[in-house]
Amino acid sequence: MAKDKTQGEDFVTPLKRMLTGVVVLCLIGIFLVWRIDSPRVERFRAQVVDAIVPSFDWAMAPVTGAVNLVRDVQSYQRIIEQNRELRRELQQMKMWKEAALQLEQENARLLDLNNVRLDPRLTYVTGVVMADSGSPFRQSVLLNVGHRDGIVDGWATMDGIGLVGRISGVGQSTARVILLTDTSSRIPAVIPRSGQAAIVMGDNTAAPLVSFLENPEKVRPGDRVVSSGDGGVFPAGLLIGQVAEDPGGRLRVRLAADYERLEFLRVLRNPGTEAITDHGALVSQAGSIPSSDEQEIDQ
Amino acid sequence: MIENSPARLWTMRAGYVALGLMILFFQLLPLETLPRRFTGPDLLMAFTFAWAVRRPDYVPVLVVAGLMLMADMLFQRPPGLLSALIVLMTEALKRRAPGLRDQTFAVEWIIVGIAVTAVMLSNRLVLSVLLIPQAPLGLTLIQTAMTLITYPLVALVTTFAFGVRKVQPGDADTMGGRA
Repeated sequence: MAKDKTQGEDFVTPLKRMLTGVVVLCLIGIFLVWRIDSPRVERFRAQVVDAIVPSFDWAMAPVTGAVNLVRDVQSYQRIIEQNRELRRELQQMKMWKEAALQLEQENARLLDLNNVRLDPRLTYVTGVVMADSGSPFRQSVLLNVGHRDGIVDGWATMDGIGLVGRISGVGQSTARVILLTDTSSRIPAVIPRSGQAAIVMGDNTAAPLVSFLENPEKVRPGDRVVSSGDGGVFPAGLLIGQVAEDPGGRLRVRLAADYERLEFLRVLRNPGTEAITDHGALVSQAGSIPSSDEQEIDQ
Repeated sequence: MIENSPARLWTMRAGYVALGLMILFFQLLPLETLPRRFTGPDLLMAFTFAWAVRRPDYVPVLVVAGLMLMADMLFQRPPGLLSALIVLMTEALKRRAPGLRDQTFAVEWIIVGIAVTAVMLSNRLVLSVLLIPQAPLGLTLIQTAMTLITYPLVALVTTFAFGVRKVQPGDADTMGGRA
């Protein structure tokens, strides 16, 4: 009987090996195609995600909720010390609130004086975070808004307070946001106090690096970092966070957005900045501006 | 005897797919949006290897390839590379499975450990040869180590919760009789 079995396997085994070979070749083929023609495969990936993740959604929301509930219950254990901490913070906040109110009034007065108009086209779409990247090496989240809501690659994403990331990959009903902490994230920024331009580079830590500063001495920990709008990627002036110095002496941004709980994100509609294409005419046509010298000579 | 019926075979294959989808699902939950210093084990790979070593017929090539490709797509990894490596390694382990049947768990652990390390290293090697940006080396090392450390647990769950046991000499006889 045992002999029968080995004979039976004799023609099955090579077939299995061949199948394995074909499968592995196909996979390597997919990888090579991705390497050669990345955008097309990434679009395909967006479609795959678009098809799969929403079908998980009915289960994801309750499970996420349950896990967060358990975490909240755990935090009740520390409730007394938290309470004390919060009171102390509240005291400080009252002080700040007073300062903020005064500044707001002053700001309103100054804006009024300057006759400034804020850009009315800067509206936003709010989406719910459906899934994260699922891997420790990539920092991104998936939103439940996509092409049908008019989302376009490259738009900025914020939570209520600060910049969170950039849309990269749009499906019919989902869009992926690459967070500022991802290793591939590079955002042009400016530090308004000293007017220094910088790039905020994600490096898979909670606080991205600030680099390409012209004068790092002029930047102090605590300075605000906002997006600069250079390169026309983002609207200017979105709050990113505050400068902090790490133990190695490198400057980093402590992000203003609350990365611990990303639930609802705003995608800012960005109509794009207008580009000036011509060189500008220095000499006016037909010499329509008569200069005073000529007039004097004529007389 | 019931253990080797075709119904049981297909149930266990379906069970493997369900397990894989569960792992994908839990990793996709939006619980960790902060970058982590520390990573968990690659459970999908550990479970695949544990099943392949125990019962090669429960993890067919096409199923492993499909599941891994899906994981590549969903987790923003370069599609195809890690799946190809894992499929190759699973097949290699399957071929060794009959030899491992009589060995102790320690031997199995060492061999799976070598397999996991080989997959992780060759993945990084190919990525760096093709100049593809990749994750910090530290994280990969932690993930490899965590996968190795949790492997006994994975093996335990595989054996007792899913009932995937190595073929015993008695079973082999009945299977032979059936074939």
